[in-house]
Amino acid sequence: MMNFDITDQSAFLKAEAFETLRLVIDPELHVNIVDLGLVYDVKIDETEKLINVAMTLSSSYCPMGESILNAAKNCLEKHYPVYRTNVDLVWEPVWSYDNITDEGKRQLGLEK
Amino acid sequence: MTTHKQKAGVYAVTVTHYVTAAICFGALAGMIAFSGSAFTGHYFQPRILAITHMAALGWGTCIIFGAYYQLVTVILETELYSVKLAWLSWAMLLPGTVSLVYAFWEFTPGIWMQIGALLLLVSIITFTLNIYLTATKAGKQTIQEDFIFSACLCLCFTAMIGSALVFNFTGAFLLQGQLHYLRLHAHLGLACWFLLTVIGVSSKLVPMFLVSSYQNRRVLQASYYLIISALVLFLVDSYIFGLNIKTYFIAIIGIAGIACYLYFIYKCIRTRIRKQIDLPMKHSLLSFILFGAGIVCIPFIIYYYRANNQLNIRYTLIYGIILLMGWITSLILGQTFKTLPFIVWVRHYEYLSGKVKTPMPSDLYKNSLLRIQSLAFAVFCVSFIFGCLVDSALLIRIGSVALLLTAATYLINVFIMILHKTRTYDEL
Repeated sequence: MMNFDITDQSAFLKAEAFETLRLVIDPELHVNIVDLGLVYDVKIDETEKLINVAMTLSSSYCPMGESILNAAKNCLEKHYPVYRTNVDLVWEPVWSYDNITDEGKRQLGLEK
Repeated sequence: MTTHKQKAGVYAVTVTHYVTAAICFGALAGMIAFSGSAFTGHYFQPRILAITHMAALGWGTCIIFGAYYQLVTVILETELYSVKLAWLSWAMLLPGTVSLVYAFWEFTPGIWMQIGALLLLVSIITFTLNIYLTATKAGKQTIQEDFIFSACLCLCFTAMIGSALVFNFTGAFLLQGQLHYLRLHAHLGLACWFLLTVIGVSSKLVPMFLVSSYQNRRVLQASYYLIISALVLFLVDSYIFGLNIKTYFIAIIGIAGIACYLYFIYKCIRTRIRKQIDLPMKHSLLSFILFGAGIVCIPFIIYYYRANNQLNIRYTLIYGIILLMGWITSLILGQTFKTLPFIVWVRHYEYLSGKVKTPMPSDLYKNSLLRIQSLAFAVFCVSFIFGCLVDSALLIRIGSVALLLTAATYLINVFIMILHKTRTYDEL
């Protein structure tokens, strides 16, 4: 779960960009990447007009990995045309079941 | 962003292999429909030889070659060494299979059979070289790589023995009878090529598709060494002594290796995050049950062979049908829908994904056809296998019709996927 500092001037945009990433759906699991807990951090650099996303994948060999990363980049570039987007793939901390939100678990049929 | 990207041209060569295999599956279903009576006799006869080679080469091996070209980035974590070598291999695999199968069907053990065997041998060596050079490029050694490369080497040996058998038809030079070498040829192909390939690939894909965190390499290593030991012992022992009391112990070693692999799959299923198992994965899980049913035949074959009872011929035929038309076919019928839609989806939608609403990979085929295919295949398995077991022409005929329906629905779905046109719904 990401934290937002309300004293940070870009906090609203950061929260909005994070929510926008819910539009990116994992093609195999049919759950968005935010509820899967794949998005670790979103940073806004107002001087460079740059959105930096740190995210992971559920498996390091995921054949759809490139597609998911591209989709995240495409999504933010489309919704924030003034900003450039950079997506960093990170493997620390390792993604696990605990990263999935309650909504994600509900969609995966893990919790009623 | 750093993930392993596909080399340009891999899509075309992969899809070509899938289409070739789907057409061969249609032809195979037709051949079986016209050969009902052949399944109640001896397995060493022209129709059965033609059907077996169409199933093993045109269907199973062709689609595995295509899938390998796509999946090397996932399994070996590097890109394919050469697309040209992949095309060269396909260009020899197809005419080689057609030529060999035709020569077996008509049983003309002359030039066409020999050309077919040689084309297949060169095709398989080219494929193995491509995979070896890809693995060398990857640099890091994984248990999956051990399984896959051992499988490729076994396929080369299978093709070499097969070619020797073909040439032995016209000028006998082998030291022992055809049936003796046929046993080695069949087990190198079935147990070594298909089994090691299935374990190597599925041990990476099953945890991924089920989103399981289970990653016990030691279970897979134990499986690898037990299966390889059993295969080497079986090949050496049965070449020198034929089937004997020691074969039981060798079979136990092999089954222990398979049990380790099945334990790995079981743990993946138990620890999976994705609770709903879709139809393609159910097909794959059915294949493991059919594989178990095939293993059950082994002690019967050894027992009846040693007792000089003709039932060993019936059980050997059923064993082959369960493994080739049950286990391998079920696995392919399921995994096609876990690989091909994604391959096509990436081609059509990767650049659009995130910008507009696109179909998902599972929207690229007709689920209703897949359900009919699954049902028809289940009818085939039950009816055909029991038909062969109890020598019933009616059950064999029902099974053949069900297989034709399976092949027709499968073929239509494959063409729906590869002829897919890019479409989007609305803006995100």
